[in-house]
Amino acid sequence: MNRINCLSINYRLAPIEIREKVRFSPRDFHDLMHRDAEVYTLTTCNRSEVYWTDIEDGEIFRKTSELSGVPEAELYPASELFKGREAVRHLFTVASGLDSLVIGENQILGQAKEAYKAALDAGTTSVFLNKALHRAFRTSKRVRTETDIGRYPVSVASEAVELACHIFGDIKGSSVLVVGAGEMAGIAARRLKDRGAKDLSIINRTLSTACELAEELGGIPKPFEGLKEELTRCNIVISSTGSPTPIITKPLMDEVMKLRRNDPLILIDIAVPRDVEPDVGSCYNCYLYDIDSLKAIVDRHATNRREEADKAGAIISAEVELFERWVNSLNAQDTIRDLFGLADSIVGDEIRQGVPEGTEAALLEQKMQASLKRLLHRVVSFLKEHPTLANIENTRRIFQLDANYQDRHKG
Amino acid sequence: MSLAVVTFFYILAGAAFITYLFWRKPSVILAARALFAASIASHLLFIISLAWQGDHLPLLSPVQAANMMIFLSSLVFVVFAFRKATAVLGAFFLPAASFCLGLIAPSLQADQGAPLAAARIWYPLHTLTVIGGEALFAVAFVASVVYLLHDSVIRKGRIHSTASHLPPLKILDRILSACLSFGFVAITAGMIFGTLWASSLSVSFAHLTTKASAGAVTWLVFAFSLHQRFAIGWAGRRTAIITIIGFILMILLFVTLNVLFPDAHGIGLTQ
Repeated sequence: MNRINCLSINYRLAPIEIREKVRFSPRDFHDLMHRDAEVYTLTTCNRSEVYWTDIEDGEIFRKTSELSGVPEAELYPASELFKGREAVRHLFTVASGLDSLVIGENQILGQAKEAYKAALDAGTTSVFLNKALHRAFRTSKRVRTETDIGRYPVSVASEAVELACHIFGDIKGSSVLVVGAGEMAGIAARRLKDRGAKDLSIINRTLSTACELAEELGGIPKPFEGLKEELTRCNIVISSTGSPTPIITKPLMDEVMKLRRNDPLILIDIAVPRDVEPDVGSCYNCYLYDIDSLKAIVDRHATNRREEADKAGAIISAEVELFERWVNSLNAQDTIRDLFGLADSIVGDEIRQGVPEGTEAALLEQKMQASLKRLLHRVVSFLKEHPTLANIENTRRIFQLDANYQDRHKG
Repeated sequence: MSLAVVTFFYILAGAAFITYLFWRKPSVILAARALFAASIASHLLFIISLAWQGDHLPLLSPVQAANMMIFLSSLVFVVFAFRKATAVLGAFFLPAASFCLGLIAPSLQADQGAPLAAARIWYPLHTLTVIGGEALFAVAFVASVVYLLHDSVIRKGRIHSTASHLPPLKILDRILSACLSFGFVAITAGMIFGTLWASSLSVSFAHLTTKASAGAVTWLVFAFSLHQRFAIGWAGRRTAIITIIGFILMILLFVTLNVLFPDAHGIGLTQ
């Protein structure tokens, strides 16, 4: 259990200026990996996390600093380091949406699965992290089905609706512009449409993608070149592109606000790195919210979900317990002992079931045990020579050494 | 009916509206509206009793004018108090009105007013339109204060439960716009009536005194605010700030000049 670690740079400690620089992919850590080492990375708008086994913590920090360009001295206070059991608990908590800015949101599960797929493609995970991640996904499913955490569907889009109501009264007369056609933008747009937004425009650099989303939501796709015109027309803008640089700049918004005759405009920037320059917030009658400033609003809704989060916490604890039991079983000595124990029990069963007439039971038992041990000797020798997690795990699976061996296959 | 009773009703209504700001129960707003209606009714009765005693509209002294302004602004406020989205404005308007009534109450009881010498139509028209305009500015002032408060809360993202009951910015801006527009028209008309009244008394320009020029300064502030709003698009925060400055300026001029020149425009009403 102690081999797993997690470095988390998340919305709680790290300001957006640091978060937008720290973006991981599993391949970034390839050069640190040797023997049993495994790496899994998760990057969302609220967090960048790396989980690893069998790599020094210092190496991970150095690599993170090198990749992001953030000096280690700045990185330390902005990050959280989880070790062993706490790292597993953190992974399960994150996957269940309980560590999210919006407690209980389920977008994180999709993002965690995508990140896992990337890690599998890069070949950076193996037995330990595979197992941990499968358990994390299972925990997330249990939390969603066994608690009411999902009954409070507060998302960034809901907050956009709330803000619009504070400014415009309701959103029925509002025109909504979605910049970017990613999953987050789609969810936000759907919510605004459901709440009665007058019309919905979708702008994306790739027009075909905008068309697909527009068709799905009943919106109107617009070419990227029409951004200024749409900003002038709409009242609510939700931006969530993958652009590395801001696409809505202060000079652009100065022009837009002049054309709008300072009619109020809400800009919700849920992209990391940010799509909207922070200076845009100083434009007259422009209400700019980035992912950090949404936090305070989200907190207001957290009370109800917190009770359900307590129930979810109990599920997570139980799952961490199960995982720990699995980890403890991944020991070559114990596996060899269990193998011989298995051989003894098989022989014992055979003898108890009766021996042919004229045969001495004790002699027969001795011979059978000797044969089985000779057979197992090859497996045991292999395990002693190559005591990797994968070999131990496979041995335990093949010989069904665990009482609840079926559970072992569930992930 | 005494002003103390009227003030008491205003205080009760204000307390009920403040309660409604924090505790959104239908029974609370019902009680607040009933108390507010009682305040208006008692205030009206008080003004009628003043008029009965003095045999003229109680508009002759600055204190009577202030009393009339509070009454008219309360009358304007009825429109908002009985609408769900704007009812909470009462939590801001009524305490301010109560405070002002409390401030003028001692002087008003002692003030019997001067008899209206010239039975001209222009004087009551002048005073009623000017005071009506000022009453609208008073409501615009309250809307501006709430606008800035709500705007700051929204910008900081601190939309906690109390702030979420404040009227939306767009509605506050509409109130602001309507009050400023109608108020400006009323004050402009009041200035014209005042000029006609002065000319009918054959008063020289020199007699129009600082009071009229101070009124013109206030008029200019609101004219500037309306111009910027409609011509340049200064809706929202900037209009609210100008309204607050303009209203404070108006009150300061009103108080200062009435202390320095107690009779109306220095013309004197007994002729």
